[in-house]
Amino acid sequence: MATDAATAASAAVRGRARRQREEELLVWPDLVFIEFISALVFTLMFTLLSIAINSPLQDRANPANTPNPSKAPWYFLNLQELLLHMNPALAGVIVPTVALIAIGAIPFYDNSNEGQGEWVSTPGGGRLVKLGAWVGSIGSLILILWDAAKHVQVYQMIFGAGSWPTSLNWFKSARDFQGWLDTSAYSPIPDGLRRIPLGDYLLRTDLLGLTEEPIDLTVNVPGLIVEQIIPVTLMVGLPILLSIVAWRIGWAKTRRDHMILQFSGFLAVYFTLTIIGTAFRGRGMELYWPWDNPPVIT
Amino acid sequence: MATSERPEARGLGDRIYDIVFHNVLWQAIFRSGYPNTPRNQMLAIATNVFLHLHPTRIHRTHVKITHTFCLGGLSFFLFIGLTITGVLLMFYYVPSVERAYQDIQNIQTNVRFGFLMRNMHRWMAHGMVLMVLLHMMRVFYTGAYKPPREFNWIVGVVLLVLTLMLSFTGYLLPWDELSLWAITVGTNMVGSAPILGPPQQFVLIGGFEVGPAALVRFYTLHVIGFPLLAATFMTVHFWRIRRDGGLARPL
Ligand code: HEM
Repeated sequence: MATDAATAASAAVRGRARRQREEELLVWPDLVFIEFISALVFTLMFTLLSIAINSPLQDRANPANTPNPSKAPWYFLNLQELLLHMNPALAGVIVPTVALIAIGAIPFYDNSNEGQGEWVSTPGGGRLVKLGAWVGSIGSLILILWDAAKHVQVYQMIFGAGSWPTSLNWFKSARDFQGWLDTSAYSPIPDGLRRIPLGDYLLRTDLLGLTEEPIDLTVNVPGLIVEQIIPVTLMVGLPILLSIVAWRIGWAKTRRDHMILQFSGFLAVYFTLTIIGTAFRGRGMELYWPWDNPPVIT
Repeated sequence: MATSERPEARGLGDRIYDIVFHNVLWQAIFRSGYPNTPRNQMLAIATNVFLHLHPTRIHRTHVKITHTFCLGGLSFFLFIGLTITGVLLMFYYVPSVERAYQDIQNIQTNVRFGFLMRNMHRWMAHGMVLMVLLHMMRVFYTGAYKPPREFNWIVGVVLLVLTLMLSFTGYLLPWDELSLWAITVGTNMVGSAPILGPPQQFVLIGGFEVGPAALVRFYTLHVIGFPLLAATFMTVHFWRIRRDGGLARPL
């Protein structure tokens, strides 16, 4: 009976197409050995690390005493960094949700099964990785520095203190732009359109049992532009622009090419934001050199 | 290669080999002999519930370290390590605002090897987030998300979120300044969602600010809710790797 099963099994195996037995290895010992060794090395590494470095334990939590800066764990500091530049709902909820859905959707856009199982398999894939990485990291760095008005500092370092022309005050940072839209005599938004009341009871959230208080539905137009419209335009527009450029200069041809470019760009932005948020944000979430303001990391 | 289960015992070495690997206990546990013949090597994988996650044979390119850098396997390894150290920490930790902080101090200073358990748990938790991110990058750059592995890629994204949630819920438990404010900042982000945000935040932390209710919720999610979910999704993840024909390789 055992032989019958064995013959049937081996017949099934022989019938299987394109399976190159000579290219295959036995999992025991070849793979199990590697797994065993890496588990061993990692156990050892973490044991030594844990003997050498204690995990942090600060003072007992005191709700009355807010430390400055208060930071989320490092893997959320990218979002906390975004939070400094745009509407909180956008930075804290919408962007991560959309990003996760977009990542999950990658295989449904890049749906040919060619080029799998090899590192960056398309011709010219390597330079797309570099392009995405450079544009993503430098681009987000420039935007962060701009929003901290660092260009104003550089300008005044060159041309002397107070030399920044007041006519360019709107170009200092996002906040200044918002203030300029809101209050300046030169603002392109007419006075009457800066606040648009939509009425207190347009949304009867109290009927849904959500909140008793009417939600203030006055639209702050300058705020909407600066905190939502501009960031969304940048976050959607710049990646599309990058893909169009890469396509026009002939670097990105297939969908896989575009995905390599976009994903590399995304990773670069992600890591830049994380690093800045972790190591370069100090008191008041202002930019500091890490050695000027030793930040809390872990 | 014709191989017999029981090589004839000739010298002393063979006799010892026989005593160690062909006794009734060994055969009761493992059934097959010592895995030194291809047949026994395959049986070693196929008849063991843990090793059975693997196929018995794999393509040689997948054994090359530079193909996977073992990153998925290391994520799983860290998950197991975190479970073991976490269970040990649970012996000494009570999730109440009155006790939590002292319990952690106690673990760190008084409990024998307590510092080792806590440090390992913490560093492995950071390590796991990192490994999972790197694993996702390796899967992306080797094009291993392409059909027929789309679904496993999505399962992976869910695992990434669960890994972050596991780490985030654990962050509150020491109840020190760092944890309280990190969780306050983090959960405020949830609260900023349009319309549904504030009620969601309320449910998550069990009140208007991070307090005793939040500690119990985070603790429960951390030690049972998310680990179960993660283990479930990992089961699906590993099962799908086999179903999708092993790791991706060039057509
Ligand atoms: C807790 C987290 C995770 C664990 C424990 C895990 C574990 C594993 C393991 C052990 C493998 C086998 C190959 C290897 O080691 O690279 C694998 C493959 C795979 N993983 Fe994960 N993974 C996790 C998260 C993810 C994430 C975040 C993604 C992607 C978003 C992902 C997508 C995949 C895919 C598509 C494969 C098949 C790769 C191939 O065919 O070459 N996994 N995973």
